[in-house]
Amino acid sequence: MRQFELNTVIANLRDLRESDLSDYDGVYLGDIYCRIYEANFLEQPGDLKEGLHILRDQGKRAYVTTYAAPRNDFLPGVRRMLEVSAAAGAEAVEVHNLGIVKIAHDEFPELPLHIGGFANVYTAAGVEVLRGFGAVRFTPNYELSLDEINEITAACGAPMELLVHGKMPLGISDYCFLLDYEEKWGVKCPDLCQKELFLKQGDWAMKSVGKGILSGKDVCMLEHMPRLLAEGHRHFRIETVSESPAYRGEVAAVYRAALDRAGAGDGEVDEAWWETVRRHARIGLCNGFYFGRSGMDYAGIRPESIGSLLTISRAES
Amino acid sequence: MVELLAPAGTLAMVEAAVAGGANAIYVGPRGWSRRRDRYELSDEDVRAAVGIAHGGGAKLRVAFNTNMQSHEIAPMLRKMERFVAWGVDGAIMTDVGAIAEVHRQFPQLTIHASIGANILNNEDVLFYRSIGVSQVVADTKLTLKELASRKEQIPVGIEILIHANKCYTYLGKCWMSPYHRLERGTDPFGKDLFKGSPNRGGLDYRVCLESWELYSGEQMWEKSVALKNDAFFLLEDIPHLIDLGVHCLKVQGREYPVPLVERMVRFYRDLIDVYTAFPKESPFEVGPWRARLAAIQAERDTARSDGTRALLAEARQPVGAFRG
Repeated sequence: MRQFELNTVIANLRDLRESDLSDYDGVYLGDIYCRIYEANFLEQPGDLKEGLHILRDQGKRAYVTTYAAPRNDFLPGVRRMLEVSAAAGAEAVEVHNLGIVKIAHDEFPELPLHIGGFANVYTAAGVEVLRGFGAVRFTPNYELSLDEINEITAACGAPMELLVHGKMPLGISDYCFLLDYEEKWGVKCPDLCQKELFLKQGDWAMKSVGKGILSGKDVCMLEHMPRLLAEGHRHFRIETVSESPAYRGEVAAVYRAALDRAGAGDGEVDEAWWETVRRHARIGLCNGFYFGRSGMDYAGIRPESIGSLLTISRAES
Repeated sequence: MVELLAPAGTLAMVEAAVAGGANAIYVGPRGWSRRRDRYELSDEDVRAAVGIAHGGGAKLRVAFNTNMQSHEIAPMLRKMERFVAWGVDGAIMTDVGAIAEVHRQFPQLTIHASIGANILNNEDVLFYRSIGVSQVVADTKLTLKELASRKEQIPVGIEILIHANKCYTYLGKCWMSPYHRLERGTDPFGKDLFKGSPNRGGLDYRVCLESWELYSGEQMWEKSVALKNDAFFLLEDIPHLIDLGVHCLKVQGREYPVPLVERMVRFYRDLIDVYTAFPKESPFEVGPWRARLAAIQAERDTARSDGTRALLAEARQPVGAFRG
């Protein structure tokens, strides 16, 4: 078993089959935003069972995620999915909603819980409350800086899972505005949200996946991996639920190599790694909130990696 | 009897809310609630607000509904201790750790789960009840059917926002604003401030209301896409909500002018009083109330549009001083 876990998220069986997962240690199955996302694992018990088997056959840690904003009418399906997860041997379930935390704790106590980024973990005291409900790993709210995350781990020793690359979730809605344009664009749901759609205004950009809003820029912590390891972090997420299998595989290869090198005490970043992450980032790179700045900012020794609508369009012209 | 809960961003607004007929008023201690600091009160003003509210027969709640940092729990508890000693009637909170700590230390204090807790389903309610919450603010996207199910199944106080914003995203699950601009600072009392992050007690730049262009690759598909974020007043639903037995009807708006807030509160006071005194066997017509509300709404819309323009302009300003 590797020293550091690199994981990602995959929404359906097709994407799972098309993805090269060799550089990942674990995979979460499911799309947290929308019940009618194409063949969402969370609505297809048979697919979920098969997906978990595929992951285990590949020697991966097989996880299942859950909806970020479930209303009452989601809950019967959530219970069914938790039942399948427990029966099919999922190693853990990621939970973003505290109602689902309670259901999982009360009805499926054998399932370890990973707390997701939408669950709003901001404090060590919050971690302690959630531990009482069976939580064993925590994705802190994306708004927290590394200093604030380390304050939590120092206080309670909880293992954190950090988004180190990819588009950071910025919000979730009950309403998919893309549906308003189905007829006009001639693209129907569920194909609509699988287009690469960006909301732009000036140098601002966000990616839309229908009910979900993501950062336009890709969070990139490539050059900061040595710091994350030195601070004791061991679980890292590449957020690829809205990305292509090529993105999923190639970016993971970069981070696997970076982790191996950083783990051996060498923090150097290969030029080819930068080329890969820049090629896949349509809008540019940022650090999210890890350094206490606006989420779209980039801090580091590679300021040219920041990118912006302006610099990208210049480069393309 | 349903409770009418009013906002107060200043002591003058506390007085206006009492005069308007509010049964309860909520205020935010400076740096600790989901509004920018100019709409929050100093500790001494919180104490004065308790006196004004109680003097007018109303309750006073304090909103500690930021998602605070780990090291802020201890100072929050010290502040809460003072407020409890001064007679506050309840605390509005979001962070589950902070809620659990407050419940442990002040078991008699009524804790209200804030709109920022984004309580969406009945199991959510049971979770929050298990850590000490006795009243929950319903998300603005919930339907009457969902509220009725909650009321039937769970012994918990339900609060409904009757004047508020309905954001595109679920409230408490959105950080679009600080993604675009976050300015961290510290107030004179050492409280960390997060200008741009409503979840952390700063202002919300309302970037969702920008006129967004939608691109697929390099191709512009739409020149202007609106991520709906509408301010609303409930009118037709008020009789249904009262009949359903909700505990509290809450008016938001600490950022609005005092006379406007007083008119909002007085409008709902009159509506609630007339409806509850109305014979149940007769149909209640909300039509006559519409014109009065329309005048209030027009004034609110103007104030909100001005506010949104200013916020979006501010969001484009470079951040002065970063703190790592």
